[in-house]
Amino acid sequence: MRHFRTLLAHELRTAALSWNTWAAAGLFLALMGGIHFFALVEGSRAPGDRTPVESTLWFFWLPLLCVLPLLTMRTFAEERRSGTLAALLTTPASAAAVVWAKFLATWIVWVVFWLLFTLFPFLTVQRLGTPGDLRLGDPSILWGGLCFIAVSGLLHVAIGILCSCVTRSSALAALLAFISLLAMTAAGGALESLPIESWEWLGWLREPAAHLRTFGHLQDFAAGILDSRPIVLYGTGTLLCLGLAILSVEGQE
Amino acid sequence: MNEAAPLPEAAVVAEKLTKRYGSLTAVEDLSFSVAPGEIVGFLGPNGAGKSTTMRILSGTMSGTSGRASIWGVSVALDPAGAKRHLAYMPENNPLPEDLRVEEYLTLRARLKDVDPARVDERVRKVMDDCDLTRRASGRLIGQLSKGFRQRVGIADALLAEPRVVILDEPTIGLDPHQILGIRDLIRSLRGKMAVLISSHILHEVEQVCDKVVIINRGRLVAQGRTEDLRRELLPEASFTVVTRADEAALLAACRATEPAAMVAALPSIGGWNSFRIALPAGSPARETLAGALIAAGIPLREVAEDRFGLEDIFLAATRRAPGEARRS
Repeated sequence: MRHFRTLLAHELRTAALSWNTWAAAGLFLALMGGIHFFALVEGSRAPGDRTPVESTLWFFWLPLLCVLPLLTMRTFAEERRSGTLAALLTTPASAAAVVWAKFLATWIVWVVFWLLFTLFPFLTVQRLGTPGDLRLGDPSILWGGLCFIAVSGLLHVAIGILCSCVTRSSALAALLAFISLLAMTAAGGALESLPIESWEWLGWLREPAAHLRTFGHLQDFAAGILDSRPIVLYGTGTLLCLGLAILSVEGQE
Repeated sequence: MNEAAPLPEAAVVAEKLTKRYGSLTAVEDLSFSVAPGEIVGFLGPNGAGKSTTMRILSGTMSGTSGRASIWGVSVALDPAGAKRHLAYMPENNPLPEDLRVEEYLTLRARLKDVDPARVDERVRKVMDDCDLTRRASGRLIGQLSKGFRQRVGIADALLAEPRVVILDEPTIGLDPHQILGIRDLIRSLRGKMAVLISSHILHEVEQVCDKVVIINRGRLVAQGRTEDLRRELLPEASFTVVTRADEAALLAACRATEPAAMVAALPSIGGWNSFRIALPAGSPARETLAGALIAAGIPLREVAEDRFGLEDIFLAATRRAPGEARRS
């Protein structure tokens, strides 16, 4: 546990000083700022069912696919390429401590990015809104959506970490993470769009498809509905990915 | 140094170590040991399996079969326990480029379970020992020269005062001044830590090590003290003679005292003829040759017994078939 704390502090410090993190933060804020701006413009033209905050959160997949792989790609791939991972493993620190420290540090950075994003709706309300007017964004929806980002982020970051463990190339790790996260995000929708009802032999897919609907989870969280099933899904998926990552690190020769 | 514990017979034990990659055998049936406080040179041609063996001993790679232990702790069964007694500097000494030397060593000290109250003291001590304090402590590792990077690697190895230090090519790429510094540093560890060091600079190994282990194609071909190996592998005697006499006269004088003696001409030196005289192993003429040549009227300027160095021992050992090695 002492090694984990030491490694976590080191990883957080490295992340804070890394140009990679700052570039990712810049890209993230540019993306989310742009989306929020267009959501506000669209909302002012033709007010719809969704507030600008909801519309912006609906695009969570964009930074997930474009920014998160930038954060996870170097975690292990770069260390494997340079040999520093092997040097790290010559100390009494275990592979599990190394994987968990890198995972948690990346997750914290990811959550901090999203907390920074809250500045956009906060400043918008402060500048344009009036007290009690929720048309620019209901804070409960914002925090509910951020809870979804944090919970699903556990699995998303774990997927990125696993992808970085299996290659020495950061670019390939980013590509693998992009494809895996795209598949993960689109899986539920894709399965639901299949004509399962008319295909008897695909009946068994109905349940998993219902569990994998990522956008449904976002909607539930934003609406304040606390369903344990997505939490279990993201939790077990995270443990599985990290377990595979630990095995991958231990097996590197 | 780590807390007091019974002194094991051997600090490092490799017993019938074997490592296979599919059909390729990198290390086969390799057995040797390093005593506590002993400095042992680990030699072999490129691709002989030195780095693979060192990686197995350090726990960064698992062997296919055999047993490896560090300070009595099995590397396979208790890797974390073995690593507590061990410091390993890999061949290319990978270091994070974006950390400063002092930060890196502090991190490593914490990961190596150095008492938190002693971390700063140990970091300062190894930086002083490795001559890093004045010229490198505040610099980014990525900006350091090869020599200083090697020093950082060695400082890291010494941080936790381990029982065993394994250094894979610690002097590679260093200039002669830096090599001297590293040599003195390693020499200063004698009696304090068991050191297993691989190097291609045989002169260095001969100067620093108490014993050598030579492997070829993954198998042990020789091990022991340099003197013992010299007697075992190069038992014949060889003399360099500088004289006015010609080859025929010299050969006749030699044959009078040792019928199996051989004479070979060497390049002449300033008008003097130079020859190499080879005597068979155990020949009594080894002690009487100079007197016999004078008695035969050979005008001598110089007679000197050739001393075989580690380079000759290495070449002789790596030429012989694996499995001929005698355990010593």
